[in-house]
Amino acid sequence: MGLKTLDKIAAALQRRPFELEQLRKEGKRVVGWLAYNIPEEIIYALGLIPIRVGQGGDGRLVEVGARHISTKNCVFVRHALGQFAEKTDPYIKQLDLVAIDATCIQLYRLEELISFYFGYKTVVLGVPRNFATKEGHEYFRKEVECFTSKLEAFAGVTLEKSKLEEAISIYDGIRAAIKTLYRYQSLDNAPLRWRDVSSVISAGYNLDRQNYLELLQELIAEVEENLTESPAGGEIEARIFLSGSLIPPGDTKLVDIIEQLGGRIVGDDLWSGLNFFLNLEIKEPTPYGVADAYLDRVPHGSLPYLDLKSDGRLANLKHQIQEFGADGIIYHTLRYCDAFTFKAGETKDVLGKLPFLEIHTEYSGSDFEAIRTRVEAFIEMIKSKKEIAELV
Amino acid sequence: MSFSGNFFAGVDVGSLAAKSVILKDGEIFATGLLKSGVNSVESGLSALNLALDAAGLKKEDITYIVGTGYGRVSAPYANKAVTEITCHAKGANYLHPTVRTIIDMGGQDCKAIRIDEDGAVVDFAMNDKCAAGTGRFLEVMADVFKVKLEDLGAIALSATDTVPMSSTCTVFAESETISLVARGEKPENILNGIHHSIANRIAGLFSRVGIASDVFFSGGVAKNTGMKSAIEQALKVTIVRPEIDPQLIGALGAAVIARSFAKKEGLWA
Repeated sequence: MGLKTLDKIAAALQRRPFELEQLRKEGKRVVGWLAYNIPEEIIYALGLIPIRVGQGGDGRLVEVGARHISTKNCVFVRHALGQFAEKTDPYIKQLDLVAIDATCIQLYRLEELISFYFGYKTVVLGVPRNFATKEGHEYFRKEVECFTSKLEAFAGVTLEKSKLEEAISIYDGIRAAIKTLYRYQSLDNAPLRWRDVSSVISAGYNLDRQNYLELLQELIAEVEENLTESPAGGEIEARIFLSGSLIPPGDTKLVDIIEQLGGRIVGDDLWSGLNFFLNLEIKEPTPYGVADAYLDRVPHGSLPYLDLKSDGRLANLKHQIQEFGADGIIYHTLRYCDAFTFKAGETKDVLGKLPFLEIHTEYSGSDFEAIRTRVEAFIEMIKSKKEIAELV
Repeated sequence: MSFSGNFFAGVDVGSLAAKSVILKDGEIFATGLLKSGVNSVESGLSALNLALDAAGLKKEDITYIVGTGYGRVSAPYANKAVTEITCHAKGANYLHPTVRTIIDMGGQDCKAIRIDEDGAVVDFAMNDKCAAGTGRFLEVMADVFKVKLEDLGAIALSATDTVPMSSTCTVFAESETISLVARGEKPENILNGIHHSIANRIAGLFSRVGIASDVFFSGGVAKNTGMKSAIEQALKVTIVRPEIDPQLIGALGAAVIARSFAKKEGLWA
């Protein structure tokens, strides 16, 4: 949409691998992390450089990963393993340490594999299955405390309260900014769309967090300056909400299909999208305070929760669908991403009559036309509901 | 001959067959059906020409054409493309307004479609991307038993027993069938098992979208009486039979939608 700040973000991203090289030469160390519950604030507060890793969309890397893991493992995990195996990604090759949390058991296994086969230095953060209980919180507090100790030893410094407060402030700012951008992208009169915000989130995987926060604030100011009058009427559109397995940077197949067919994505509850930034309030600048805040936010789909009435993930999903004015939900499941595949049926049932389409896919192009037909019919269904009076 | 611009056509290019229907005054005026080839544009045009020839019309006489099926993405002869899911819904609704559930079994996929009283889709589910439970699967089975595709259903209905088939994967089912024949199982009993195996798989699709009467069976496989019977047993329903070739339902729906688009775009009053 021609926003200058988006270009600035893209340019900063282009420079970033070189910047990291320089910083490493100066003695700085890079910690790559993936999953959902790694407290980045602690990595940052220790003077380490956090990089969020894990891309998707490349069928060739899935095959590379499958040389070391079963083909019945999640396609994202195989892809990540392929990236770690090849070590050609400009960020992966600069990692001094890899941190993975055990929210998703398959990702936890990934840690074992990259350590065993490729010699990466790793650290694991345990995550309780019974996360909503007092015992679960106690366990996670100890895990975060232990995780902090390991990082302190790696960084050669002790975590200072003032540094952690500073980090929390930056991350709170990033979370607030992403939420604001999501709100704007769902409006008709804002000069950016979901895909723009998604690319901004992807950039945030790698950019320096202070610099990233400044860019986000600049972007919000530019968006606000360029809000137009709300258009009256206009073409009937299908407002799509994305849910289910993650859609990481590089995996554009489903998003491309939806947009090519005239659908408009207006929101998501993906852990690679908005969910990651929601409801995280650190009340006390200590590892315990950080642990409590992470465990109390919107739970990840990989964590079991059997009481549908009080499941925070489903409550959040319902809230976001309403907030973004979605007409229908496309529930995306990656092949062998069991957690989200298992939950597809219950999610559909909980949402009642809202149009719901499950797309089960992987990172190959072989199912492109089959997905296209399903998505096209889904968009037709939504649009025809809206214009039923004019049709047959 | 002079025409009033009251002709609408639907062209459905599937993986195994290309079909067309021309509507005049809201009634089916002509149809065309042939095997589809590698070139979907040519297949669609050939099917359309078949119907045009049967009707004594030229393409210019058709006010509006809607393309559907997998060939819809490349249909330069059509004014608009609409998915086969929407078209089957409209086609079934045109023939039987009381239909609320459609089973569409075509050459390369199988769909469970729920519709409302206007023929609008309210929910749908499709089989996975493999050939299990499709026309292509049955073609392979007919080839294994060296019988005509159109005779498969009748042979299955003559069975005295049902030999369970554990796989609906086309490749594995073929080798399993050969093993069953070698074991001495009767072909009709094996075929009966194959039909029930596919029907049970289709029942799985309906667990996602639900079933409401009336239930309608469309697509090329709907001509198979053994499959109709197996699905009726699996879903515990009675299936409504279309008065026309069930393979034409998608093209019929496309023609119905063509008429709606023509009206909406002011090409027909």
